[in-house]
Amino acid sequence: MLESLVHSCLAGLSTGMFIWLVASGLTLIFGVLGVLNFAHGSFYMLGAYFCFTLLSLMGDNFWLGLAFGPLCVCIVGFVMERYFLRYVYHLYLPYQLLLTFAFVLIFDDLVKLIWGAGSIGSPTVPGLAGSVLITGRPFPTYSLFIMTVGPLLALGLWLILEKTWAGRIIRAASSDREMAAALGVRVPALYTAVFVFGTWLGAMGGGLAVPYVGLLTPGMGETIIIDAFVVAVIGGLGSLKGAFLGALIIGLLSSFGTRFIPTFDMFLTFILMAVVLLWRPQGLFGEAS
Amino acid sequence: MAKKGMSRRDFVKAGLLTAAATSLGPGVLKPTGLWAAQPKIKGPVKVGYQAIMFHKMGVDMAVDEINAAGGIGGAKLVVEFRDSTLKKPQAIKNARYFVDSWGADFLGGVDSSGQALALAPVMAQLGKPLMVTHAATEKLTEREVFKKGIKEIFRISTPVYQDGNAAAFVAKELPAKSWATISPKYEYGYTCWAMFKDTLGKLKPDAKFLTQSWAPFGTTDFRAHINTILDAKPDGLYSVEWAGELIAMMKQAAQAGLFKQIKHVMLPVGGAMDVLEGLGSEMPDNIWISGRYFFMYPDDARNKKWVAAFHKRWNHYPAYVSETGYSAMYAFKKAVEASGSKEAKPVIEALEGMVMESPAGKRVFRKADHQAMYSVPWGLTTSNPKYPFKVMGKMVVIPAKACFNRPPFEGESCKPPFKS
Amino acid sequence: MGRYLPHLIVGLLGLVFVAIGLFAGRFVLYLTMRVMLLSIFALGYNLLLGRTGLLSFGHGAFYAAGSYGMALFYLHVSSDPLLGIIAGLALAAFTALIIGFFCVRHTEIYFAMLTLAFGMMVFSLIWNLRDITGGDDGLVGIGRGPLLGFSIAKDSQYYFLVLFCFALTVWLIHRIRSSAFGLILAGIRENPQRTSFAGLSVKGYRLAAFVISAVFAGLAGSLGAMLESNTDPFSAHWTHSAEPVLVSLIGGLQTFSGPIAGSVIFVVLRETIERFTQNWMLWFGMILLVIIMGFRGGAMGAPERLLRRIVRKSREEGAS
Repeated sequence: MLESLVHSCLAGLSTGMFIWLVASGLTLIFGVLGVLNFAHGSFYMLGAYFCFTLLSLMGDNFWLGLAFGPLCVCIVGFVMERYFLRYVYHLYLPYQLLLTFAFVLIFDDLVKLIWGAGSIGSPTVPGLAGSVLITGRPFPTYSLFIMTVGPLLALGLWLILEKTWAGRIIRAASSDREMAAALGVRVPALYTAVFVFGTWLGAMGGGLAVPYVGLLTPGMGETIIIDAFVVAVIGGLGSLKGAFLGALIIGLLSSFGTRFIPTFDMFLTFILMAVVLLWRPQGLFGEAS
Repeated sequence: MAKKGMSRRDFVKAGLLTAAATSLGPGVLKPTGLWAAQPKIKGPVKVGYQAIMFHKMGVDMAVDEINAAGGIGGAKLVVEFRDSTLKKPQAIKNARYFVDSWGADFLGGVDSSGQALALAPVMAQLGKPLMVTHAATEKLTEREVFKKGIKEIFRISTPVYQDGNAAAFVAKELPAKSWATISPKYEYGYTCWAMFKDTLGKLKPDAKFLTQSWAPFGTTDFRAHINTILDAKPDGLYSVEWAGELIAMMKQAAQAGLFKQIKHVMLPVGGAMDVLEGLGSEMPDNIWISGRYFFMYPDDARNKKWVAAFHKRWNHYPAYVSETGYSAMYAFKKAVEASGSKEAKPVIEALEGMVMESPAGKRVFRKADHQAMYSVPWGLTTSNPKYPFKVMGKMVVIPAKACFNRPPFEGESCKPPFKS
Repeated sequence: MGRYLPHLIVGLLGLVFVAIGLFAGRFVLYLTMRVMLLSIFALGYNLLLGRTGLLSFGHGAFYAAGSYGMALFYLHVSSDPLLGIIAGLALAAFTALIIGFFCVRHTEIYFAMLTLAFGMMVFSLIWNLRDITGGDDGLVGIGRGPLLGFSIAKDSQYYFLVLFCFALTVWLIHRIRSSAFGLILAGIRENPQRTSFAGLSVKGYRLAAFVISAVFAGLAGSLGAMLESNTDPFSAHWTHSAEPVLVSLIGGLQTFSGPIAGSVIFVVLRETIERFTQNWMLWFGMILLVIIMGFRGGAMGAPERLLRRIVRKSREEGAS
């Protein structure tokens, strides 16, 4: 029983860290730009495919792929913000959502065109391919790696936002755009920068997912984006701290749900989302405005 | 003016032939062979094929071969593809487009069971034969064809009998006593596991079924499911996960040491080429796999020749969907040439009970439920220096007759094991 | 003369639809029915989005409620299509009342997320309650019994039931929009506070709009179940809920005829694209981009403005 509980916990934590990698970018973009980006799942997918292609080109070196793949996706994010999204910030909500949705359709088909509609098995990472014994059962080293990267990323984001000059500007712009502009912040450029950084986070999630999941499929963005939405909502839209904790909750809920109440695991996730929205729309860890 | 596609010489030929046939009397009224069918088939034979796009290799090959060899009874074979997207409304729209707008004579393909069931009444309305090449639900042939009498539906691929019943026959011989499953959280998964449990329970009354872990469509993270299985500590794992999901599950199961703990693993669709190629050397040895066809079986000249030709053209070994698509074209060819017509009614009659040779071996379309009877092996994975992926080593063939449910599909006597 | 122009246009379009029913081939008939179903779905939906200003990502759930209500009634009670439709509408309205009760507490993105969550709960229920819903196979073999003694088994006959429901929807939506109720909804969109100062229950009106739009979704769903002779769990999925949003947007959010034009464009465009390429999503996505970036009034924005101007002008001329 102990073994079972420990491993359900570990599986939940590693799943949660994954969703966090994706939800962090989504949350950052929503917090600053106020746009809920459906295409964030596509960045995750594109990140995975770019990393895979680059690592195959560079002698199966996973780290090189991870270093350059997400940067390629950043170009995509830049184009999307600079030439499209920028013109709809002031518009009615559906236009923003559907603009990002249009990009989902485009990216999904482009991936099928370029890489094929089938799934691709991906290579393992040398040095992280093995397992370690925990309570007598092997646990993948790579999952432990992800469980380290997640909190480190959270710490890094916190440091950037709280302790640096750039972070102060970002926070200023997210709480009051006009005021920031009046103080001389070039808000449009800042928005582009934040969006591109958010894109990079999503693409990194995808790149890191390649060895974790073990394969690439053209639909991989669609599954994760809904999880990321749920996490962003539960944590409080725009709150990074909330997203981190929300991701842990959803990860554990799906792990224990699958293990102990398998029939309604998806139902549970969405009922949690609805209850949080009704009871604390600012999120479990957000502050009421 | 003569009708399009028919020159005056054709008319003359047709007239002569009809005259010849009539003069020869009733004994030879149903002539066979090339010259017989030619006059009756006007225009090309058109097949509308819907599937996930990368399934078309086999069909393309059949079309080129058939047309190079003079077409179907002299008529050209034309195939139009549409992506089925696995969604029901899309499948229905595709079928209606093929028949009512494009003018298809026959339809083929269909991947998901839900789509196949949704298409059944539509095909009855459209009145054209549909050859299912992948969707596996037994309800299609047992309920829609046999009970409801929708004669337009045929299936050239093996149904869930191969995944559930045949697997049970193989499992009977294994030392494993207790079984568990990770399978898709939809009808296909439920049906296969129920069938496996039911049949194995009869073959081996002391078999125990410990736990079942269902994975929703599109699951990529199987760690919680794998933990569920490891906690239950069964002797054997049975899983009808397929395509990308199966690849992901196998990789994650290996990381969690599942294959060290559980010695008997059965994957009814593990013999699919996308899975074997996708996993490569990461597929463990000694896993039981099967499919709707495996390119190393039957070990005869016909199959070997086909596999070689396929590999030469596509630089891939044929997947089962390639074989079923390929053979579906030849099934239409044979039925059209036998009936001398591409009209639905005579072709359906010709297909009923039809025997055909195909790369997968001899197929017989059972008259009652329009299901093609042919045997597909189960095999243990092993490395073979000839291939860059794992292949079947030891093979076990459960004859279709022994493991396919039988009409009238009611009561226990229609399910295996059969006495005769 | 110009004052009767709208009537003339409606009359002509009606004739076109009747002519399609009488003379068109089976495939055109089928596509036109799909257009009309999507129009019914989107016309009702736009009452919520365009009129009341609430963006729902869960209306697929009500479409599904309509089709499962209809299908269950057919399979277990009676094959009467009229009663079946009523059963579908009742289930859709009931579901909407419960879900709407919770959802109308929020607006904007929170409303969108809340409806998404409830919609996906319905999807999950349909998927998992296999004994009732047939799981992912859905309910199959939904037939069409005679309607008031007339057979509607053939598509060419069923077409006219769909056409009738479509015309009824157009008329009802038109009435609702121009009623006091419709004006209050528009008032809520523009300024909810003022409406509540006027002593009206904003939540109550929002809930009413929510349920009414859901009933039309249910109508589309129950007609859809009979058209396709099966039900599909994915009709409750959020990707299906996005369809009326797309359609309303293509046609023009602030127009009356937008959802209809949007449906025509959506269905016909998709069919056309599919004839040329396997990658219709790519092309559709790009067209969507163009619409959002350049033609936010939607396809019907400019034509409706022009029509209104003509009518006003001719009224003024008539008055002077």
